[in-house]
Amino acid sequence: MKPPLLLLGAALLFWGWQTDILFVAATMAIILEGARWLKSRWEFSEEDFSRIWTFCTLVLLGAAVYAFSSNNGPADIRSLFQNPTLSAQRGAAAAGARTAATLFRWLPMVFFPFIAAQAVNWREGVPLEAISLFLRWRRKQARKMGHPPPPGRTVNVSYPYFALCAFAASSRARDDNTFFWGLCALMGWALWSWRPRRFALGWWGAVLGAAIMLGFLGQRGASQVQRYLEGLNTQWFSGFGQRSARSELSRTALGHIGRLKTSPAIVIRVESPPGDPPPPLLREAAYRLYKNQNWYENAKNQFENIQVSSVPGTWVIVPGKTNISSVNVACYLDHGEGLLPLPETCGRLENLPAFVLRKDKAGAVLATGPGLVVFDARYGPGLLSDVSPTAEDTDVPLPEAPALDAILEQLHLTSPVSDQLARQALSRLFLSQFSYSTWQEPRKRADPEETPLSRFLLRTHRGHCEYFATATVLLMRRLGVPARYSVGYSVHEGAGGKFVVRQRDAHAWCLVWNARAETWQDFDTTPPSWVQAESPDPSLSQAVLDAWSRIAFEVSKLRWGQSHLRNYFLWTLFPVLGLLLYQILFRSRRKKLAGKGTDLVVVWPGLDSEFYEVERKLVRRGITRPQGEPLYEWLARIAAEPGLVELKAPLERLVRLHYRYRFDPLGLDPAGRGALREQAQTCIKRLPY
Amino acid sequence: MDAIYRPFYSLYRLSTGVRHRAERRLTKGGLGVVLGAVAASMLAPDTENTVAYQAVGLLLALLLVAAVFCGFFRGRFTVRRRLPRFGSVGSPLAYTILVGNLTSRTQASLTLFENLSDPRPPFDEWKDLQLADQRELRSFRISRGRRTNPFKRATVAGAEVPAARPGEEAEVRVELMPVRRGPLRFDGVTLARPDPLGLMRSFITLTAPEATLILPKRYGLGTIALPGIMKHQDGGVALASNVGQSDEFVGLRDYRHGDPVRHIHWRTWARAGRPVVKQFEDEFFVRHALVLDTFTNHPESEVFEEAVSVAASFACTLQTQESLLDLLFVGPQSYRFTAGRGLAHTDQMLEVLASVRPCRKHRFVALEQLVLENIGVVSGCVCVLVAWDQERCDFVKKLRGLGVPVLVLVVVPAGQKPTLDPGPMRDEPERFLVLEAGSIQEGVKGRHN
Repeated sequence: MKPPLLLLGAALLFWGWQTDILFVAATMAIILEGARWLKSRWEFSEEDFSRIWTFCTLVLLGAAVYAFSSNNGPADIRSLFQNPTLSAQRGAAAAGARTAATLFRWLPMVFFPFIAAQAVNWREGVPLEAISLFLRWRRKQARKMGHPPPPGRTVNVSYPYFALCAFAASSRARDDNTFFWGLCALMGWALWSWRPRRFALGWWGAVLGAAIMLGFLGQRGASQVQRYLEGLNTQWFSGFGQRSARSELSRTALGHIGRLKTSPAIVIRVESPPGDPPPPLLREAAYRLYKNQNWYENAKNQFENIQVSSVPGTWVIVPGKTNISSVNVACYLDHGEGLLPLPETCGRLENLPAFVLRKDKAGAVLATGPGLVVFDARYGPGLLSDVSPTAEDTDVPLPEAPALDAILEQLHLTSPVSDQLARQALSRLFLSQFSYSTWQEPRKRADPEETPLSRFLLRTHRGHCEYFATATVLLMRRLGVPARYSVGYSVHEGAGGKFVVRQRDAHAWCLVWNARAETWQDFDTTPPSWVQAESPDPSLSQAVLDAWSRIAFEVSKLRWGQSHLRNYFLWTLFPVLGLLLYQILFRSRRKKLAGKGTDLVVVWPGLDSEFYEVERKLVRRGITRPQGEPLYEWLARIAAEPGLVELKAPLERLVRLHYRYRFDPLGLDPAGRGALREQAQTCIKRLPY
Repeated sequence: MDAIYRPFYSLYRLSTGVRHRAERRLTKGGLGVVLGAVAASMLAPDTENTVAYQAVGLLLALLLVAAVFCGFFRGRFTVRRRLPRFGSVGSPLAYTILVGNLTSRTQASLTLFENLSDPRPPFDEWKDLQLADQRELRSFRISRGRRTNPFKRATVAGAEVPAARPGEEAEVRVELMPVRRGPLRFDGVTLARPDPLGLMRSFITLTAPEATLILPKRYGLGTIALPGIMKHQDGGVALASNVGQSDEFVGLRDYRHGDPVRHIHWRTWARAGRPVVKQFEDEFFVRHALVLDTFTNHPESEVFEEAVSVAASFACTLQTQESLLDLLFVGPQSYRFTAGRGLAHTDQMLEVLASVRPCRKHRFVALEQLVLENIGVVSGCVCVLVAWDQERCDFVKKLRGLGVPVLVLVVVPAGQKPTLDPGPMRDEPERFLVLEAGSIQEGVKGRHN
C-alpha cells in the first residue's frame, strides 16, 4: 500500500521539528518525496536490497553501542551487577531508557537508505526476503536441495517507516502538546486515504474529532497519573546507600545493617604533573547540620554564580590566591549537572567547559555543562572558599550527646580545649580502639535511646567512614571546636601521575577549624586500613571492566567535546559510512569482475594432456574442429580422410584416456597417465606431415 | 496426561479464536494502529525521555471510538452461493456469492467473509496430534518447525462486496485456497461494515450451510511406462470402448444351449430360420491396481498426505488407451469401479481418496491379504507406500513372486535423504521410486525424464 502524497515527507519534517534536526529531516523529505517525480528509476535487485538492509542493520548496531556508551550505560549496568541496590537498578533502568530514547530518535536516519532505495526503485515495494533472515534461509535451503524457490513476496515499507518517524518524534524531553497535535494531523492525513466511502465527510470529521478530543483528555490524564506516581516513588528511589548529587543533603548509610555494597566503577580520573603527588582527598561538599543520620546544608546557603574570567574556560573560585599545584580532573556530570570533586585548597579552575559554575558558602562547587568535564584544578595553601565558622558549626544534636560525653569522659577531655589537642586525642582513640568495617550486625536488643552513632561509639567500635567522620565532627563540636562533615573521594589508586577514583573510594571526613591559622583543615580519623578493606584483589574481570570503562571514557570525551578528535571523528564518519555503503552496494560487481579475471588463470585438471598436441597437429593439417563438435564425431571425420584411416583406433584409445584424464574425478593413475603420453606420441609419429 | 494437555488445549482454542476474531475485526489500518499503540505503550512509562504516552492516548482513543461504532450495524441480507462440486488442494477455488440487499439504503464498502465450519478438532484428536508430533521430536536437533495450523481446511480472505442498491443483488467473487482434502463445509457468511475511520468492522452473520469436496493434490506424472501383462478379463468390461486388443463383436454362430438370450441376433434368425447368436471375442487387456498404504501412526502425517496425492495423481494420469486402472486398494478396503473404461470412475476414485484417513487399527498385513485375494485379475500393481520396512518388502516380494509386475513408490518425510535399499526391487531400480514429502513433483520428474 502506498501512502498518500507527501505523507512521508510530512512525517519526516515533523520528526525533524520535534527532535531539533529539521535541516537533516527536510533534506531526507525532499529526497523521498522528490523520487515521485523522478522519471528514471534504479533497478535494485533483491540482493541489492539485502545489502542495503545489512548496511542499515550495521549502522543500527553502531548507533546502539554509541547511544549505550554515551548515556553512561556500561557504568550503570556494571554497577547493577556489582552493587544491586535499588538505586543501581534505577540507574541501570534510566540508562536503558535513555539509550532507547536516543536510538529511537535516530531510527529514521538509520533506515533512510532502505526507504530511499524503495522510493527510487523501478517497482513498488521491497522483497520480503531482503528483510527476513528466515525467508532467505528457506530460499537457500530450497536451492541447495534443488527445489524451486518459494514464491517471493514484496512489501511496501512506507507505512512502517511512517510509524517509525512518528515514534522517533516522540523521543524528546520537551513536555508540551506539540507532539500530540502534530501526530493528530499526521494520523488524520493517513486515515483520510483509508476512510470508507460509505460515510459522508462530515461523519468522518466528527468521529475523528471525537477521537482526538478523547485522546487529548486521555493523554493528559495519563500524564498526571504518571507524575503522581513518580512523585510517590521519588522518596523510595532517592539513592539509598549512595550520596545525593544535591549539595544541600548528604544521605548517609548510618544505621544500615548488613554489608555496605560498594562499586568498583571508575567515576573520576586524575592526572598530576610528573613528580607531584595528587591531593589525597577531593572534596565535593561540606555539611553543617546533622539530623536523623543525615547531614544537611542550611537552605539559606544558596549557590552563587562564579564569573568566568577573561580567559575562556578559566573560573576563579578564590580570588587573589596563589596556586602552586595543579591536577587534571575528569568527572561525569549526571544529566549535565553535578558537584565538582576538588582539592580542598582549590583556588582556580582552568579549561573547564562548564556552562554555569556556582559555589556555596560551605565550599561546594556546582557545575552545569556537558556530561563529562575534564579540567585543571589549581590549588595551593592559603585561603579557602568556605566561610568562617558559624553557630551551626558547633551544634550537636541532643540524642547523640550522652554517647559523645561518654567518649570524652573516657579521653579525659573537657571543653574548651585546643583543636590540636583534640585532634591528637581523637586520632589516637579511633586508631587504637576502633576498626573499619562495612558490615553492621543487626541489633540484638532494642534500645529506643540508642542511635546508630552511639552504638558505634559505645558498643560496636566498628563502622565505615561515615561513622568515623560523623563521630569526629560531633566530638570536636562537643569540645567547642567548629567542625564540618565533608564528603568526596580518596585518591590512592594509580601510578605515574595517572590515578583512577572508583565509586567505592567515596569517602567522608571532618573539616576542623584551625583558629590560629584561621582556616579549615582536613581531619580524617578513618583508620588507614579502609583503603585496603575496600580494594579487593585485582582480578581479570576487573581488568576487563576497567578496559571497557576506558573505552567508554574515551567515547564520552569524544561525545562531550572533551577531545579535539571528536570534530575529526564526525567528519571522517561520513566518508567511512559512504565507503561502507559503496562496499556493500557494489560488492557483487567487483566479485563478477574478479570472477572474469580469474577465469583466465584457473587451471582445470587435464589441461596438460598430450592430446592437445595431437589436436593442434591435426588442425594444422586442415582438419579443424568446429566449436561444439564432440571429439568422437571429429575423429570419425578424421578417419574418413585419406591416409588417416589406420589412425582411427589409436586416436579413439587416446581420446578415451584423455577424457578420463580430463573429466574423471579420480583422474588417471600413473600407468594410465603414461599410456596417454605414449599413445599421443604414437599418434604424432604416425601422423603424416 | 489429559490434565496436562487440557489447559494447553484451552489455550490453543483461545488463541486461535482470538486471532480469528481479531483478523476479522481489524482492518489493515486498525491492525497498524493496534501495533502502534502497543509499541508506544512500551515507551510511554519513560516520560522523562519521550512523550510517547501522548501517542498512546491518541491511538487508544481512535480504537475506542471505532469500537463504539461497531455496535451500530443492522440490516437484512440474503446470500446464495454458487459452489462447484469439487476443489483441489493447492488450486484456488473460485466461485461467486450473490448478496441481496433487503434494506432501504444502498450498502457500500461491505466485506464478505466466508464462515467455514470450525476446523479445530475435539480434545482427543488434538492430543493425539500433539503426542504424535512429540514422538518425532529429536532432542537438541534442528527440526523443520511445527505446522502453524495443521487443522486448517482452507484459507479465504474477505471479499469486497460491490455497492448494492435496495432490493438489488451484488455478485461477489470469492477465491478460496483449499489446504486439506476432504469435505469442506460452509456454515454461512458474515457481512462486515467498517467504522467511519476504517479501523474496525462490525458484523452481520447469515447462515448458508453448504459443502464441497476437496480432492487431493495431484502431480503431473508425465509419461509412465507401467508394468503389466495382458490378462483375460472374465466378462469383459461394460460400456465398450477400444481398450484391449479387439472389438467385441466378431461374428455370428449357431445358438448353443445356454447362450444368453440377449446375444441372439434376431434379424439373422429371421433370415436363416434358426437361432443365431452374436459372437464376441474374449477381452484381454492390462488392468492395473492402485495400492495405497494407509498404515501410519501419525494422525496428520505429511507423508501420508503426500502418498494420497501420489495415488490421486496415478488415478488421474493412468487412464491411457493402453491400460485400465479401476482397482483401488486403500488400507483394509478394496474398491472396484465398474462404470467402465470412461473417465467416470476417476472421479469416484478421487472421491474415495479425498476422504481416506490413516488406518491405525489394522496392520499392513490386512492390505497384503486383500491384494493377494484379488491378484487373479491384476495385470500390474502400483504401490504407494508410506514406509519401506520388512512387512512392505515382503509384500512386494510376494507380488513379484506371483508374477505381477510392480511399480513401488515410497514417500519419505521431508529432509530425509531419499536413498533406501530397494530390497526386492533391486533388479528393477527404475521401478522403485523414493519420493520426499514436499518435493514430490521434483522427485517424479527427476526419475522419469
